[in-house]
Amino acid sequence: MSPIDLASPTGIAQALLPEIVLSAWSLLVLLVIAWRHRTAEDSRLAGWLSFAGILMAGAALALLWSEGARPAGLAMMIALDDYRYAAGALILLSAAGTVLVSLRYMERENLIAPEYYALILMATVGMLFLAGSEDFMVLFLGLEVMSIAVYVLAGYDRRNIFSSEAALKYFLIGAFASGFLLYGIALVYGATGHTNFQLIGAQLGDGQVPMLATLGLGLLLIGMGFKVAAVPFHMWAPDVYDGAPTPVTGFMATGVKIAAFIALVRMLFEAFPATEQYWQPVIGVLAVATMIVGNLVALAQRTLKRMLAYSSVAHAGYLLAAVWPGTRFGAGAVMLYLLAYSLTTLAAFALLASLGRDGERDVRFDDIAGLAAERPWTAFGLAVCMLSLLGFPGTIGFIGKWYILQSIIVESHYILPVVIVVTSVISAGYYLPVIMSMYMRSRAPAPSYAGLSLSPAGAAVVAVLLVAVIVLGVLPAETIDATLRSAGTLVRTMTPLAER
Amino acid sequence: MNDFLNSVGYGQWILHALVVIPLAGVLLLLAVPERAAKHVALAVTLVEAIVSAGLWWHFDPAAGMQYLSAAEWLPRWGITYRTGLDGISLFMVLLSTLLGPLSVLGSYNYISQRERGYYALLLALLAGLIGCFIALDLFVFYIFFELMLIPMYFIIGIWGGKNRLYAAIKFFIYTFFGSLLMLVAILVLVWKVFAATGTLSFSYEHLLANAGAAGSLAPWLFAAFALAFAIKVPVFPFHTWLPDAHVEAPTAGSVILASVMLKIGTYGFLRFAVPFFPDVAMSPFVSGLIVVLAVIGIIYGALVAMVQPDFKKLVAYSSVSHLGFVMLGLWGGTLQSTQGALMIMISHGISTGALFFLIGMLYERRHTREIADFGGIARVVPVFSLILTVVALSSIGLPGLNGFVGEFLVLLGSFGAHPWATGIATTGVIFAAAYLLWALQRIIFNRLGNEENARIADLSPRELAVLLPLVAVILWMGLAPGPVLRRMEPAAARYVELSRPAAGGFAASPTAGEVRP
Repeated sequence: MSPIDLASPTGIAQALLPEIVLSAWSLLVLLVIAWRHRTAEDSRLAGWLSFAGILMAGAALALLWSEGARPAGLAMMIALDDYRYAAGALILLSAAGTVLVSLRYMERENLIAPEYYALILMATVGMLFLAGSEDFMVLFLGLEVMSIAVYVLAGYDRRNIFSSEAALKYFLIGAFASGFLLYGIALVYGATGHTNFQLIGAQLGDGQVPMLATLGLGLLLIGMGFKVAAVPFHMWAPDVYDGAPTPVTGFMATGVKIAAFIALVRMLFEAFPATEQYWQPVIGVLAVATMIVGNLVALAQRTLKRMLAYSSVAHAGYLLAAVWPGTRFGAGAVMLYLLAYSLTTLAAFALLASLGRDGERDVRFDDIAGLAAERPWTAFGLAVCMLSLLGFPGTIGFIGKWYILQSIIVESHYILPVVIVVTSVISAGYYLPVIMSMYMRSRAPAPSYAGLSLSPAGAAVVAVLLVAVIVLGVLPAETIDATLRSAGTLVRTMTPLAER
Repeated sequence: MNDFLNSVGYGQWILHALVVIPLAGVLLLLAVPERAAKHVALAVTLVEAIVSAGLWWHFDPAAGMQYLSAAEWLPRWGITYRTGLDGISLFMVLLSTLLGPLSVLGSYNYISQRERGYYALLLALLAGLIGCFIALDLFVFYIFFELMLIPMYFIIGIWGGKNRLYAAIKFFIYTFFGSLLMLVAILVLVWKVFAATGTLSFSYEHLLANAGAAGSLAPWLFAAFALAFAIKVPVFPFHTWLPDAHVEAPTAGSVILASVMLKIGTYGFLRFAVPFFPDVAMSPFVSGLIVVLAVIGIIYGALVAMVQPDFKKLVAYSSVSHLGFVMLGLWGGTLQSTQGALMIMISHGISTGALFFLIGMLYERRHTREIADFGGIARVVPVFSLILTVVALSSIGLPGLNGFVGEFLVLLGSFGAHPWATGIATTGVIFAAAYLLWALQRIIFNRLGNEENARIADLSPRELAVLLPLVAVILWMGLAPGPVLRRMEPAAARYVELSRPAAGGFAASPTAGEVRP
């Protein structure tokens, strides 16, 4: 494929094909449900339609990826590199999984309002833009499109007070974070006169970094810190994850996190390579704090959903540690870990959705006692998820963690690796009790999971995810290479520390 | 025998077969009905044991590391599924395969629920253990090291005693902590070696030849390796998980744990920690520290064993004591002490395994392990009492039985380097006699006080089939240890060579080149 000219309308249309397909499709879904929005059947129809839309967007993305589409000259507004395509694939995977798991869930919880699926599509469009943004304007627009849709999704169970609380909390904190971000963008623009990442990078690489840009970078990191739920900006995450309907929680914990981390990596790598000495210590401290706090607080949780919420904070810490080196290796580790984490977390939340009712807030560790005897496959699946999140060999979670460790150790830095492994040991203290409860305790008198089961579509999603978790854990060579290649396409305006 | 073995290409497939057979057994178990599970597991482990027995004849002591094979796994990262066997791992593998069928047979009555899962885990555990002993790539070794945690965790947690959940998680977290720090150390070492040599490889021989590249980080790396293995051994003061795990585990779990799994710790010192960093390991401070801890372990383990009211806990603490001797032997710095340490590793596996089986059999009859609940049962169960006496004497180290050879060699070989420590350790032998003989007296001799004890049945043929092979090995190794010692001698000599702080740096090790595939 010849390089795409991003200045021409056809070029832009080509470059944004997945986003355009998905946006148009989400409007189509809205149009369809304007007529059909009453029965459970209508809801299912909207769900399957959305799934088809995600598949089409995936096909468009695959086209760009396989053709190896690259920009002619500078990437204005939107990136055209494998890093964007890989991230897009992960985001679409998360969206597709969420849609399929929601099909039965929304009926069971009596949430028949098919706009839900259109909102998922819109949030996905926002995520795609965010992960592909090459310009602060696109970054901000993508972030807002994504966030506003997710605010609504979080509060979708409006009869449930916790769901409403989640939406409001997420909205207020999200608005706050957007404020930081915007101010940061403004300061960086003031200092450099650009909003394009690569132009900013070139400008800052020239010589002295102005105070204004440093300040802007700090505000940007705070804003992104909120979005990825890094300690100390994580306070919203547990309540929001806990209150939202479980499939939405899964979507937030994977899709939002993927998009935000990819945007963070791209922003730091392309716009601020010269200021590595400024952001590296900050990211390092954030990573350490996030790993320690996330894991320690997760240890104190008694309900599964809240435990998973804190565990996702902890995993943000591992991901930040992978951002820290600021190398191609590190960017590859971020992508690989996002893959590992997303596969596992999606499966875990999908399984959790079949273990309780009313948003599953109350499913305690004790409530799943004896699950292995009654639903062996569910128990096995959840056990695999826990081991993968723990980073146990034989699962993709281990490969991801090994790769992060390696990417940091190459830099001859040893504090972060030790923190990673020590906090991983702490995490055994809350992942193992889940397995313990399912396999080693006798059945609870009135288990929360009585009378519930996974829908066929949900079961299919979980099966695919788990097979991927194990197969990629045993034969990871291709995947690792693919993530590393994708990271290699990131443009480093300046390469001060990276290619030593 | 060797002609036959060569004609079937034994050397080419044996190591792979030893890992694949149990794993295939796991799959097979998933397909058979619950009732047949134990028989299938027995058949699989018997096949494994018979196949592995060929190693005894086929293994060539003079050839160093043999049966080498390598299959690419993650070539870009220098990770290869690389396996091989030498005189150290040979006996560990044989010990594992011998105890495999015995553990299955010993569980026939004890395990009555979820049998399929139990035997599948037991087989997976066996595969993990053997994998650990034959791995010659540090990444692969690490993976096997971790993988065997899960089966053991489930075996303790599901089929264990009252306090099993606590014991299972304690066991898991202790080992996991050590092994993850070891993973960091492995990665650091690999990248340091890469920086120095330009070859990115997790291969054991490559790292061994170039471990000097660790430079000033060597003490830290040694500490990480040593911690992982010290927890596993366990060296005092990292032993606290052991009594819990042993007491709660079902019989076969205890047997495998004590007989084979603990040896992975000492094996790790022998194979990795010390040869990689001999300058650190044999520095006066580190070697002093380890020897002191080993002696504390010997004495402390024996003293604590003495006061245990629970027979199983007594044996568990005796393991701490016995493995203290192994550690002492590893730091003795002579061929005798190393061979002695290896001998103890084997004979402790045999004797303690047998003791745990016997305790399990007693428990199945009376549902108690309290020493005070027994007494005078020699008249009721003479065969049981005879075997218990023989095994206990072997554990004490009576000349003519297997335990003696190893302890004698360790004490002899370590005396030169650590006279004081060896002198104190010798008293451990006396303590061992004290706690075991006293326990014997209270269990099988004395007066028959409790009415219930008068009605217990003697050993069944199945139980005899479990115990007699072990008793045979006890007698044979005690009376004629020559063949065993001969087979391990070159490997032990190589360890002594490698563990000597080299004047010319690590790369100067003369034997490093000969075993490259």
